[in-house]
Amino acid sequence: MRSWLTILGIIIGVFLITSLLSLSEGLKASVMQQLRGIGTDIVMIMPGDISDIITTLIGGTKLTEKDIEAIKKTKGVEVVLPMPYKGEVVKYQNSSKTVILYGLDLKYGLSVYQEDMSMKVTEGRYPTAGQRELLVGASVPKDVFPGLKIGTQATIKGRKFEIVGILKSLGSKQDDSMIALDLNIFKSVTGEKEAGEAVAKIANGFSPDEVAKNIKANLIETSKRQRGEESAKFSVLTNEAMSSMVGSIMGVIQAAVIAFASIAVIVGGIGIMNTMYTSVRERTREIGILKAVGAKRSTITLIFLMESGIIGLVGGVGGTILGLGLAKLIEAVAQVHPVFHITASISPSLIIASLGFSFLVGCLSGFFPARNAASLKPVDALHYE
Amino acid sequence: MAEPLIKLENIWKIYQLGKVNLEILRGIDLEIAPGNFVVLLGPSGSGKSTLLNIIGLLDVPTKGKVLLEGQDTSLLSEDELAHIRGKKIGFIFQQFNLLPNLNALENVMIPMLFQGAPEKERRERSEFLLSSVGLKERMSHRPFELSGGEQQRIAIARSFANNPDVIVADEPTGNLDSTTGQKIMEILMNLHEKENKTMIVVTHDPGIAEYSEQIVHIKDGQIASNHLAAGHVLWKKVNK
Repeated sequence: MRSWLTILGIIIGVFLITSLLSLSEGLKASVMQQLRGIGTDIVMIMPGDISDIITTLIGGTKLTEKDIEAIKKTKGVEVVLPMPYKGEVVKYQNSSKTVILYGLDLKYGLSVYQEDMSMKVTEGRYPTAGQRELLVGASVPKDVFPGLKIGTQATIKGRKFEIVGILKSLGSKQDDSMIALDLNIFKSVTGEKEAGEAVAKIANGFSPDEVAKNIKANLIETSKRQRGEESAKFSVLTNEAMSSMVGSIMGVIQAAVIAFASIAVIVGGIGIMNTMYTSVRERTREIGILKAVGAKRSTITLIFLMESGIIGLVGGVGGTILGLGLAKLIEAVAQVHPVFHITASISPSLIIASLGFSFLVGCLSGFFPARNAASLKPVDALHYE
Repeated sequence: MAEPLIKLENIWKIYQLGKVNLEILRGIDLEIAPGNFVVLLGPSGSGKSTLLNIIGLLDVPTKGKVLLEGQDTSLLSEDELAHIRGKKIGFIFQQFNLLPNLNALENVMIPMLFQGAPEKERRERSEFLLSSVGLKERMSHRPFELSGGEQQRIAIARSFANNPDVIVADEPTGNLDSTTGQKIMEILMNLHEKENKTMIVVTHDPGIAEYSEQIVHIKDGQIASNHLAAGHVLWKKVNK
């Protein structure tokens, strides 16, 4: 009973580590995969300061059509594509779901979407500019509207659209669950004129870093002149900058997760130590018997170390199973809800590391109690009541 | 007399209780010949159990030497002492001191495990020993399922496991009723005769003293008398 409570302490710690790490690792992997699909001559433009990423993500500010014009005028920009998106209820046959709609600038950007952003169709074709046609993400026919087929029709805000193509997977569930349509039709259907972000393709012979800087300067000047805003902030990121930023943000998150969860495991370890001290005291007589019949110090130490190590390991196994279970559960819940997607990354190294860590914590916690046990004098131990 | 198996030279055991020195043993000199059945007699508090613990290498004297087969044990490390205890000395305690989580067979196998005997040998020897103390049917029982006499018989089997030179018994019948105690002594005597082991028994039961070949009286931490010859006479009388 006492052992089980001790094991529970370890379970909680390891549970935290594995569930949080597998989710954050999954998040990192999917973001990185998305970024890899984007060419190096693409820059992303977002309103707001990137260091204040929370505000940006919540979507307080957006890029106006004027901002897009300013980007377009910047030297070295071959083409700029606003990337507006909005959640709308889409009705397909008998089911209605809220899906993220993307507006695609099909007139100017078709090749950029296909070549530089890896948005390729597996089936069907891209919509034609000006037509009420839909291009759906790879998960839409599987998870969002199971059985969806090309050539059928879906309804958005009372207007009928024809589904003409299915995209190849973009690496993240969130992107794969979207539905894309022509930019102008998107604007008229959703009423959304502004874009949360935009991408620009850099013309040959220009350095992405240089152009990114110029775009930023232009945007700030434009917003000053037009809106009188002094503090307008924009983030213009090259692909490389994005990758390193995502990497470092995820690194910080993971370090924090590991630090907090480790504290939980260490607290569990202290619990093991307590249990082992009690156990040594309770079994003093048995230790005396073992010593009387020839057990060496090292044998006694090993017996208690193995015991505490096994307590740690059992806790580790329990925690890993529960943690990965929770991660998978979150992933499953998130899949049903297409707006919020997260995958759990369950790597063998994560499992091995958490099991190894818990065994190690168990052994370390058992070290002093085991040494106590080993150094008992046989005659004293035998007469202990 | 052959070279003594155990020789004690001026053994002192002194406990410090605050500022008072408690002298439990005060200069014990004793020789025990191989194959002897020795009884340590004495009132409680006389120091006989402490002496037995020192002979059994469970405890170390404050002063003096314990020679086992001519080897000075005070020069040995704790682990070397543990090894010798396991190999050359078998223990029988008043409290039986069996491991509660192991069954009879496993309890007997434990000392052989520490000497590195292979599994098959351990099992066979333990089965043989348990049969010879009449516990063939009880091998898979755990100590709490058995009577005191049965537990002590397991302890006897365990003490013989590594075929030791000396069996050291501290009040082996102290926790048993007289009939059971007598049975235990008969088993011990039987093994003593068959395997020709040196036996050292602490008791204040004069009944056991009748079996002995050497009676050592301990009083106030000193040897009051050591009846080697008388013991032999007594022993022969009992056997006739």
